Amino acid sequence: MAGGRWRRLLTVPSVGLLLVLAGCGGSSGSTGGLGSGDLLVGVLAPFSGADANLGPAYYAACLAAAPAINNNGGVGGRHITCQKFDTRGEPADAAPAANQMIASNSNLMAVVGCTSDEASAVAPIVDKAHIPMFCMTGQSEFNKTKLPYFHRLVPADIFDAYGMVGWVIYGPSHPAWNKVALVFGDDIGSQSFVQPATNALQHFGKTVKNFPIHLGASSFRTEVQSMLAFKPDVIFTEALGSAGTYLGEVKELNGGQTIPFIGTSATIDPAWFKDVTSTISVNDVVQFYRGVDLGYTFSGTAYDEFKANLQTAASTFANAPKYGQRGSTLHLYDGIIMTALAMVATNSKDPTVYNPKIKEIANGTSGATVVHTYKEGLDALHAGKSIRYTGAAGQNNFDQYNNSQSGYILVKYDAQGGEVQLASLTPEQTKKLSDAGGL
Amino acid sequence: MSLLIAAFGFGLVSMSVIALAAVGFTMQFGITNMINLAYGEVMIASAYLAYYVNQAGVSIWIAMLGGAAFGAVFSFLINRFVYAPFQRKGTALLGMVIVSLAVSLMIANGMLPIVGYFSVAYRERFSHLLRIGAIALTVNQIVIIVLAVAVMLAIHALLRYTRLGKAMRATAANPTLARNCGIPTQRVIDVVWLITGGLCGLAGVVAALDSDSFTIASGAGFLITALAAAVLGGAGQPYGAMLGAVIIGLITELSAAVWAPDYKQVVAFGILVLVMLLRPQGLLAKRGALAAAG
Repeated sequence: MAGGRWRRLLTVPSVGLLLVLAGCGGSSGSTGGLGSGDLLVGVLAPFSGADANLGPAYYAACLAAAPAINNNGGVGGRHITCQKFDTRGEPADAAPAANQMIASNSNLMAVVGCTSDEASAVAPIVDKAHIPMFCMTGQSEFNKTKLPYFHRLVPADIFDAYGMVGWVIYGPSHPAWNKVALVFGDDIGSQSFVQPATNALQHFGKTVKNFPIHLGASSFRTEVQSMLAFKPDVIFTEALGSAGTYLGEVKELNGGQTIPFIGTSATIDPAWFKDVTSTISVNDVVQFYRGVDLGYTFSGTAYDEFKANLQTAASTFANAPKYGQRGSTLHLYDGIIMTALAMVATNSKDPTVYNPKIKEIANGTSGATVVHTYKEGLDALHAGKSIRYTGAAGQNNFDQYNNSQSGYILVKYDAQGGEVQLASLTPEQTKKLSDAGGL
Repeated sequence: MSLLIAAFGFGLVSMSVIALAAVGFTMQFGITNMINLAYGEVMIASAYLAYYVNQAGVSIWIAMLGGAAFGAVFSFLINRFVYAPFQRKGTALLGMVIVSLAVSLMIANGMLPIVGYFSVAYRERFSHLLRIGAIALTVNQIVIIVLAVAVMLAIHALLRYTRLGKAMRATAANPTLARNCGIPTQRVIDVVWLITGGLCGLAGVVAALDSDSFTIASGAGFLITALAAAVLGGAGQPYGAMLGAVIIGLITELSAAVWAPDYKQVVAFGILVLVMLLRPQGLLAKRGALAAAG
């Protein structure tokens, strides 16, 4: 990553020189309303700090989307570039990073990232600048957001909680799990799972107890001892950055025996897998871990192109191919493609013009042609058709608040860290769970 | 009650880890007048060096020595090539704090592309669990406690009974006077950076081993607890740092047992604030090991 930073430093004078030359020679490659010069996708996310593992997943999405667009003529001849803007996972650092990103980049076409760590701080800033953003936050404050440039391609956090309860109630091949320990980090995002999970579990007659932990602590022995005294059948958890230490100590203090544990969709992540397997072993993760994720097929034209582009992106970011089954990477890839198609469809570089078109392309209109790649979308638009983009992560269904929902699947890991689907929750089951949660 | 006793046992481990880190940190400040905020990053750099040695098949207990040696040399070099030139120019203490913060960021960001952001763990992270009543400790944790006690005794012996220790105390009390009395203060300071750097490296490996897994981001957490223990005991006082480590180590674990675990840091740092209000110089400021000899 530092390599990228140096490259950017070296690039700054070069870009400046090119801009001066472009200014002297007049506009080159201009294509009407779409303007000229490179377009920028800002990856506004934590690249350092406790959640440093999140930013790279989003950066990989951008690196994969860029060639999908650039290799097909770009956006009216304009190429997509990706740049990291480090929020450090802290609102106090995120707001200046967002302001700096906007102030210094007039070619910003979209922003991806903005996790629960910083979404509350940066979303209003990006919205005020009229830049479409695709945020990876499940915070409930965005369930009915009034920010028109905000888009969320994943369900609110509380649905992850319902998905985990769904594992207990409807999940296949496990003994009765009657006592559930909730072990979530003390950050706002993780704590949002606690109440809906508690409500839903109690509704189904389960005994549940909350054992919050302070993320980043070097040890959780006393907390683990306290949790073990409860004798849980299963643990619900999202404690990013501390899961390895916590679960390692559970195994240590439980006589070498790992307790079954269910993770949120954020635990479907190569960094999390590495963290936990480094302490409790790959075998234990394969045997005792269960998780929930959004329903992806990991197949089809769109996914194949996404996967191929991730491989290519390895020349810029060596870990990019590891994000082939990371939901957020898939969704943000689709978000960037949809934004590019919206620009082409409206023949405009003005976000106030192309932003509403994103939702239209995602949801489709009556008689719209379904497209799966940027090229297919481009061809259909040039043929004068209206389109519906169904991308690498599947179909999108934005509501009036720009929240897109899709169904949950019940998963586990294989020994290589790949996701294995074991079952899926039906819409009826999901409704029962969310009704039980009552939020 | 049994949870409280278990928490006391865990507190012994926590205080051992904190003491190893805090004593080195506070000695750096007490003798060289340097608040080294890069201490946590040197700890984590040493932990990573031990990790790579450990991955090559070497026992973590031997790799730990490598980590300590690395910490010693790295700290010595940082002082020689960064801190000392600034101090010679008369940079004020606050300025030196900013310089050390810059060094901390440079180390962290310099390491990131090398070690990555993924968690790692030593091969010997698991060891046999021993139960003595309600106290449950692993063999690794018992070794860490014994190691910390041995190191604390060695530091005590060094400061109290050796010529070098007396020279350190003299340099800490009044460097100009010490120099005029024929003490080679520059050499003493070099040795202090080697010794405290070694402690820093050792503490980094021990903390990483105790944590089961660690990442590049763990350094900040290590620094905060070491800093808190050092300040609580009286900045610059090794015995104060030991006392501070005992208090913070035990209180964090005991408060997690009797109250909400997510507030254990709040309790520990609340006590730190309270002590600072009542006794701003720290618990042992007037009676520390680095007080003037004789």
